[in-house]
Amino acid sequence: MTAIQIKNITKSYREVTALDDVSVSFEFGRIYGFLGRNGAGKSTLINIIANRIFADHGEVLIDGAPAEENMGIHEKLFCMSEADLYDRDLRVKDHFKWTGRFYDGFDLNKALELSRKFNLDTKKRFKALSKGYQSIFKLIIALSLNVPYVIFDEPVLGLDANHRELFYSLLLKEFENNERTFIIATHLIEEVSGVIEEVVLIDKGKVLLQESVDTLLERGYSVSGMAREVDCYCEGRNVIGFDELGSMKIAYVLGEKTALPQGSSLQISAMNLQKLFVKMTGKGGGGNE
Amino acid sequence: MNKLKSAVLYEYLTKTRAMGIFYLIQYLITALIFSIVAICTNGNEIGSNALEFSSVVFVSVIGVLGYKEDFKALLQNGYTRKYIFWSTVCMFTLLAGTMALIDTIIGNSLHYFNDNYFTLYGSLYGYGNVFTNWLWLTALYLMFCSLFYLAVLVINRVGKTVSLLIGVGISGIILLVTALFRFVFTDEIVSKAAELTMKAMGFMSDGTTNFFFPILSFLVIGAIFGIGSYTVIRRTELK
Repeated sequence: MTAIQIKNITKSYREVTALDDVSVSFEFGRIYGFLGRNGAGKSTLINIIANRIFADHGEVLIDGAPAEENMGIHEKLFCMSEADLYDRDLRVKDHFKWTGRFYDGFDLNKALELSRKFNLDTKKRFKALSKGYQSIFKLIIALSLNVPYVIFDEPVLGLDANHRELFYSLLLKEFENNERTFIIATHLIEEVSGVIEEVVLIDKGKVLLQESVDTLLERGYSVSGMAREVDCYCEGRNVIGFDELGSMKIAYVLGEKTALPQGSSLQISAMNLQKLFVKMTGKGGGGNE
Repeated sequence: MNKLKSAVLYEYLTKTRAMGIFYLIQYLITALIFSIVAICTNGNEIGSNALEFSSVVFVSVIGVLGYKEDFKALLQNGYTRKYIFWSTVCMFTLLAGTMALIDTIIGNSLHYFNDNYFTLYGSLYGYGNVFTNWLWLTALYLMFCSLFYLAVLVINRVGKTVSLLIGVGISGIILLVTALFRFVFTDEIVSKAAELTMKAMGFMSDGTTNFFFPILSFLVIGAIFGIGSYTVIRRTELK
């Protein structure tokens, strides 16, 4: 099967359960938004997929082969991480050179071309780059690699608006030219909503949902009106949250839209991805990472 | 195999700059000391011997860096821990061999031009065989690389507090063993242990010298550290 399959993954750190029996699948040829709040368990799961840490239970399969300590999947997966794992004393161009030696699918010319587009000085050492340019450097490597599965962990960290736009357009162009799987782990929902096809939502170490963006937006809507009427409408529906202002109430619903009762003063509006995310992941702070 | 070669080259070539700087600084300082001492003693004294000790310190640092830097970088590039371990072992071997070669050539040359300079190997075994000198140094450096690689892996795995406790425990064992040899064991046991140690270092009881025993001893000790490192790295997680 051409997919990253995550089966019943559990990972704990002392008393904290970072991932709790997580099962999810990322199929080939799609762009996924791997969404979750800070500390939801995104990076932990990515680190397990990339064989950087080990799961306590469960397994990760890449195209049917176990991902743990398997050099056979080396040319299939690349993970651009938020953490700085590169040699800080090496120059950017040397990093490109070494990546070309590590991966058969690395396109050095493309990396140099992208560096020009992002105005990245390839003669600079990694440690001399600003936080934003360190992210750009990592993005360029990920975009220049022709592997079936590319994971971006918080890819636009420290990037200005122009660079973020450039990254998203390059990502789409790459996807058009050479279909593969891109998984974008982020908590910046609005930014990626125009790029991703499918959403995997994680919170407190559990996968809350996995659906296509279109279906999700079709199923998610808000109902507003007088509180009593709204409560009445919501009975028996999958309400994921409320907002209240005086006697007015807005309910956020996930499910099939049904016609409003005749003479009702209620209003139905579409719900964007960010609102859906906020309501599904609830209030309060902190997660498990 | 190609992937392993790339990893070995990465690990080795990213250390050569540090190695070059190390030798530059070492020989600048040595030249300065030589000059000052030579001027003060009218050329009768040389001021410094056995520069290989500095190399031992340097390879120990490389042992630590072998984990700290390269483990992260290679894991980022999709390498498994097994590949990372073997590439690090190859890098240690290459680096130890290169440094041993430099130290052997320079040490023996210095001794050739000035009798007052002694190399570490030469002061123990004499100056007859440059090849065994190189092999001995390579094995010695390799042993120290392995020791410090294991140490940093263990520290990373168990954390600071447990590492400190292990350090205290090891110091305690060393003191205990020393005390046992001084005050508890019979003279016969002590002399047998001393004889065994001397043999391991190549000094035979009949007064002859076996040049390969010390090399073998260093390699065996290094291999033990290596097995320990492999056991630890197989379950090491990125922090």
